[in-house]
Amino acid sequence: MSDNTVTLIIDGHQVTVPKGTLIVDAAKQIENEIPVFCYHTKMDPVGMCRMCLVEVGTPAINRETRQPELDEAGKPVIRFFPKPMTACTTPVSEGMVVKVDSESALEKRKGILEFLLTSHPLDCPVCDKGGECPLQDLTIRHGPGNSRFDYEDKQRFPKRYPLGDLIVLDMERCIICTRCVRFQEEIAHDPALAVENRGRRAHIVSYTDPVFDSHYSGNTADVCPVGALTTRDFRFGARSWELTNAPSVCNHCGVGCNTVLSTRTGQIKRIMPRQNEAVNEVWICDKGRFGHHFNGSPNRLTTPLVRKDGELVEASWAEALDLVGQKFAAIKEAGGANALGGIAGARLSNEDLYLFQKLFRDVIGAHNIDHRVGLSATLEDETAYTVGVGCGTDLSRTGKGAAILVIGSDLDQEAPVLYLRVAGAAAKRGARLINAGGRQTKLDAQAQTSLRYRYGTATHLALGLLASVVEQKLVDEAGIEARATGFAELKKALQNYATAKVADVTGVDAEEINAAAKAFAEADNGIIIFGLEAGNDSALRAALEALALVTGHAGEADNGLIAVLPHANSRGAADMGVVPDRLPGYAPVDGEAGLSAQEMLAGESGLKGMLIAGVDPAAESEAYQAALEGLDFLVVQELFLTETAKLADVVLPVKGAAERDGTFTNLERRVQAFDIGVPAPGLAWADWLVLVAIAGRLGAEWLYASADGVMAEITQQVPLYAGMEFENLTAPVSLERKTSHYIYEGMSFTADAREGVQWPTLAENNAEGGPKLPLRFIEPAPVAGDEDGFTLVGSRFLYDGGRLLAESQVVESRIRQPQILLSKLDAQRLGVANGDEVTVSQNGVSVALPVKINRMVAEGTAVAPRNVAGRPVEKLVGPGGVYATVKVEKT
Amino acid sequence: MIKEVVTSSTEIARAMGVTIKYFFTKPVTHQFPDEPVEVYPRFRGRHVLKRHENGLERCIGCALCAAACPTDCIYVEAAENTDDERYSPGERYAKVYTINMLRCIFCGYCAEACPTEAVVLEHDFALAEYDRWDAIYPKERLLEPHDASKVVVVRDDEVFVNVSRWGKK
Ligand code: SF4
Ligand code: SF4
Ligand code: SF4
Ligand code: SF4
Ligand code: FES
Repeated sequence: MSDNTVTLIIDGHQVTVPKGTLIVDAAKQIENEIPVFCYHTKMDPVGMCRMCLVEVGTPAINRETRQPELDEAGKPVIRFFPKPMTACTTPVSEGMVVKVDSESALEKRKGILEFLLTSHPLDCPVCDKGGECPLQDLTIRHGPGNSRFDYEDKQRFPKRYPLGDLIVLDMERCIICTRCVRFQEEIAHDPALAVENRGRRAHIVSYTDPVFDSHYSGNTADVCPVGALTTRDFRFGARSWELTNAPSVCNHCGVGCNTVLSTRTGQIKRIMPRQNEAVNEVWICDKGRFGHHFNGSPNRLTTPLVRKDGELVEASWAEALDLVGQKFAAIKEAGGANALGGIAGARLSNEDLYLFQKLFRDVIGAHNIDHRVGLSATLEDETAYTVGVGCGTDLSRTGKGAAILVIGSDLDQEAPVLYLRVAGAAAKRGARLINAGGRQTKLDAQAQTSLRYRYGTATHLALGLLASVVEQKLVDEAGIEARATGFAELKKALQNYATAKVADVTGVDAEEINAAAKAFAEADNGIIIFGLEAGNDSALRAALEALALVTGHAGEADNGLIAVLPHANSRGAADMGVVPDRLPGYAPVDGEAGLSAQEMLAGESGLKGMLIAGVDPAAESEAYQAALEGLDFLVVQELFLTETAKLADVVLPVKGAAERDGTFTNLERRVQAFDIGVPAPGLAWADWLVLVAIAGRLGAEWLYASADGVMAEITQQVPLYAGMEFENLTAPVSLERKTSHYIYEGMSFTADAREGVQWPTLAENNAEGGPKLPLRFIEPAPVAGDEDGFTLVGSRFLYDGGRLLAESQVVESRIRQPQILLSKLDAQRLGVANGDEVTVSQNGVSVALPVKINRMVAEGTAVAPRNVAGRPVEKLVGPGGVYATVKVEKT
Repeated sequence: MIKEVVTSSTEIARAMGVTIKYFFTKPVTHQFPDEPVEVYPRFRGRHVLKRHENGLERCIGCALCAAACPTDCIYVEAAENTDDERYSPGERYAKVYTINMLRCIFCGYCAEACPTEAVVLEHDFALAEYDRWDAIYPKERLLEPHDASKVVVVRDDEVFVNVSRWGKK
């Protein structure tokens, strides 16, 4: 027996577990399910429901000798506690004996169930939880067949009480386990729910505005062990046993949460989280859960469209593709390959993106491809390749001894489930969280240190932290020796970034910079997360890369950088080389780089023809629209008739992510496969197939028959993706990992558990003798002097004006409309109230926006959502810009 | 030879005897559909979706009948009642309810599973259709009112008196 483990006996079986384990969890390891209602592996135990009562005994100790008493046979005498104990709150101890299925324990549990059912309605036939309901299951297994309770004494509560627009509460079914309340407090950190009243009148309430204001509310319906909380979206959609479940991956942001598409008769009925401890644990956000309606939308394109006499008319695939082939060939003939260009959205799968670049590079012969428009223009990232978080990083276990540095990201809005994990690491597991940002965000509540810098000085702050690490002699010499070169030059360059000076520029206290640098450098593990509001700045990325290398937080699990890229496959788009200057796998192109998206859409690009797949630049700005109108020939692959598609000469309908298979690479570089869930509408094809057909019309002979066939080629051509065959990506997790990590409850499907595969970074490779990384220093852009006016920040909000989300009516009321968030003081000063309009102007551009007063916004700052109808902020801050100094006046 | 003639004649006469005898007895054939047919009270004919006395549908769209059905011939899609548009008491009703009578084996498991006694196998058995598709009964055809009395008469003989002796000699 080692010091950290405890051996005990549960129902006659011996089990050894770490000290401090609770009896329920210990029992689970030997597949002895102790029934629970209020206990949830991810939350602190409370012992509220008493369902887990078991008999517990410990070895008797002789009071005089202080030795265990032995019986005649020389075995220790076990003394049982006079009353049963709750297995969910009692930690194990050495020599403990637990009786789960003893007669007395069964009797007690039966009593508890009868008690829980005294007021429970007989709703099973109409209840959405029916068929996957722990209360149903446990009543069958442990409960009494009938109730002695007087029917007239049943508690009456209103049925279908709306808790916000997304969740419906049926209080009669609630067993007051408070899992929902605790989820909101402990995990979502949005204490939106509470228990009001006591005893039999106790009920769940929400007093936030809007009601149940949280990005994670759908998860409460999952954790609710009864049908008290159900989602408005799934309500009565199907019985759980009628659903067919396909493993999928969320396509709404870069986190890449694992999901299950529950379908019936070819329609998605609901989206549930699929457990993957390395990505989303058991959670998904409400955007992922409710944003699936674009799949079955009646507005989808169902047939190819071709422009004839100025009108888009329906055409056959053969006709449309022939036209694309002819026109592209003619343009190439007349103006050379560089008269053609392509933009692909970062929502496409790796297979699509790989073939997209292959079409342009191999078949057409141009490097004019890019994915960086819209939200993707605000942040790019090549550091994942060098010092991305190590393989095996698991934020669900990051805790004591680790430091997480977040720079310029409102995680709750940009990457919701990543927020849960980072907040959990800090608040629950004791990691040191340093949140650096230009404004207050939700994460500040969990951060031990908040560094508030002036917008535009994030790079200075990063360099300041780096200089402070060097100054305080906290450098990891051995690590630098093994992994990096150029430390001496870097040190020299950093002399200009003495803490006092940086403090002056950034507005962050010098002490705090030093303390943060110390905390980060001294931590056992360090992760740096940077997001949209840090700005699209290669100097920042170089500084963060150097910070990771210099502090030794690179090249190992739980160490390194994470860029919070905006789309489901932004990472994959960079990996697959859908950029003008890099081939798949980050190799630089031979010869001259092609045109970037900004250049292609600039109007005088010299392009004659374009292929645009899965992005809508025309909606971004009028300039883009004009540039696209100026083309001779525009082909668009889309789900909907977007603004860009309306300008096209040929529109090709494609399948949504639920209608095809493929892979996405998430922001931790985890490549994850998703399966087909529902049939596609009309004649839509998968994007990769469209690209194969276009290549065929241009004379190439591509023989791909399926997405995994394309992936097979990627594994050969892109060394980073060597291990990414579909067999690997869809391989089930090991039994051992399953028993130690996975929980199954409250769901009718067996979670098809696959975890995806991460590709290793250069920093990891050079531990095994790979090339060393140069420590780069890039001079940051000069900081603009203090101008008069507001700092307007174009922030990303979860419910933005994206085309896909617009199809989900249930979240309609939460979708951001153009607005400007101001502090109360500023609003008073301007003499405006909520809803009043102000004119925001900068350099001759001005837009009118309604005001919303927000307590998180600081004085002198104004926050406005990006990517909403009309793109007002983008007009002021520029397509890839994040902030600008603006004038705000009452209209 | 003579013997053969005699035996065959007697055989013919015997057979004719049988024919003549039955010619004068009451026929067992029913002149259906001109005359009604008699069935036992617990005869399982085609399904009817019952209503409450106030006219609301009994069916709550729970799909338990569909789950119990061994031939998978019931299809239910549920929806939510609103105060303006109410079909059944409570929150839930069957928006779509169809039974494929061609697949049904009239086992009655559906009726047994139904928590509200909404689906009942009644006495109508005349289910022939000119088009196979018409054998898939939508909710409108299954819902009461339904009148099989013109062609079906329920027998009143006491056929289940000796229940206790079932299975015994
Ligand atoms: S609503 Fe559900 S999760 Fe919340 S307290 Fe009631 S039973 Fe528990
Ligand atoms: S966090 Fe991102 S990936 Fe996860 S469910 Fe939400 S939108 Fe989807
Ligand atoms: S009678 Fe039997 S086969 Fe026919 S619908 Fe009912 S359960 Fe199905
Ligand atoms: S007929 Fe009965 S079992 Fe079938 S859906 Fe209606 S209520 Fe449920
Ligand atoms: S599960 Fe132990 S008391 Fe509720």
